[in-house]
Amino acid sequence: MKMPLTFMLNNQQTTLEVDARQTLLEVLRNQGGMTSVHRSCEEGECGACTVLLNDEPVNACLVLAASVQGASVLTSEGLVKNGKPHPLMKAFTDELGIQCGFCTPGMLMNAYALINRAGDNLLTDQVIRKTLEGNLCRCTGYVNIIKSVHTAQKAKLAGEWW
Amino acid sequence: MPDNSAGNSAIENSVMRNFIGSRAMPDLVYHSPKEISDLLSMVDAHGTSARVVAGCTDFIPSVRTGRWSFDQELNLIDISKLPVLNQIEKTDDVLKIGASVSLTRILESPEVKVHCPVLAQAVEQMASLQVRNTATMGGNICMASPAADTVPPLLVSDAWVIIQDAQGEHKVLLTDFFTGPGRSVLTSGQVLTHICIPVKKANEAAWFQKIGTRTAVIISVVSAAVRVTISNGVCDTARIALGSVAPTPVRVAEAEQFLEGKPLDDQVIAECARMAAQAISPISDLRSSKEYRKDVARTLVKRSILACREALK
Repeated sequence: MKMPLTFMLNNQQTTLEVDARQTLLEVLRNQGGMTSVHRSCEEGECGACTVLLNDEPVNACLVLAASVQGASVLTSEGLVKNGKPHPLMKAFTDELGIQCGFCTPGMLMNAYALINRAGDNLLTDQVIRKTLEGNLCRCTGYVNIIKSVHTAQKAKLAGEWW
Repeated sequence: MPDNSAGNSAIENSVMRNFIGSRAMPDLVYHSPKEISDLLSMVDAHGTSARVVAGCTDFIPSVRTGRWSFDQELNLIDISKLPVLNQIEKTDDVLKIGASVSLTRILESPEVKVHCPVLAQAVEQMASLQVRNTATMGGNICMASPAADTVPPLLVSDAWVIIQDAQGEHKVLLTDFFTGPGRSVLTSGQVLTHICIPVKKANEAAWFQKIGTRTAVIISVVSAAVRVTISNGVCDTARIALGSVAPTPVRVAEAEQFLEGKPLDDQVIAECARMAAQAISPISDLRSSKEYRKDVARTLVKRSILACREALK
């Protein structure tokens, strides 16, 4: 069944023609052009396709596109402002929380939601690890990713954030 | 110039293999009812061509891996947009959770924390944040997996489910709900709408533990839940449930009865755990051997009763 899908994609009202069989992952990549949403396990194990659905991280591979009618979806493309990388992205590059980069967009979106939820409470390693448990990284060994999240939160508390 | 043709065809082959491994979905008609009356008339009208879904976190992989296949067009009925099924209510002595409440909301609910903490304890160990944000307890129950982690805590809490169809509402004890792996008493035309849990009393404690090959995003090798009430130093009622050790999540009646009327001393607990492991006959599969499962079941039951005893001190 073909259907029009209207939703907020990276803060812009978007209407796409989708098939009811398509997952949000397929629609974001194929019709939406958001190729930072990475396709990997397609069964919710790896987190590479993590996007924010109404501000909450979800695996785009496990969401039917038809079900996001009227919702808001944020991908890591939406973090870039006027061509400038988000302070969270800068923290990941500064702290070497990124190597091959395949897991990075998913990590960024989960970490972005975490830092926003945390407010003024400083995140602990334990909380970061528990939150990112659904995002697999086979390069970094996670240590630098945890560091990156700490650094990003400091940037947010210093007022460099959007 | 190196010859790349062999390399390219290897890539094409691997792409093709992946594609066959993740089958295409059947043709879908997507419905998202906003009222319970619409939902019931839809499931009634579409009969066996209807599938009720909420989070879809099990539905999508089941279709893609070929575990489920459909000959005909499928009417997918998404209950996640129904406000009445998306609520946690406490009425008198019962906690009533709608079938499409996400696992994250169960985990963060103050009512669940106070009135059925063992459920929150199990949900916290399930899947990942991303999955918990979409997956539902209704879905976890309806998939009827022997490894469903919400089920042992619900079984020991004496929970029941409410099933609705054109005839009305039916109350089914969770102990009577499962009929086999992936099978339950639900028939076409019926929808599981609520899960009801008697609230925790002052003299009771409950505990859940699971073992998997890692702590996150993993299917349980064995899971165990225990609930005991104590009066005058002896165990009044005991409930012990195990997951991943039988065709459905099960309660182990002999071990429960053994515990009742006895003080929770080390010897009694050890014997009860032995009896629980004795009562089950798990299978060997990809995740574990039957011997290991029996051994771990005994340990998990023992640890869970000890944790309950500690909580009641």
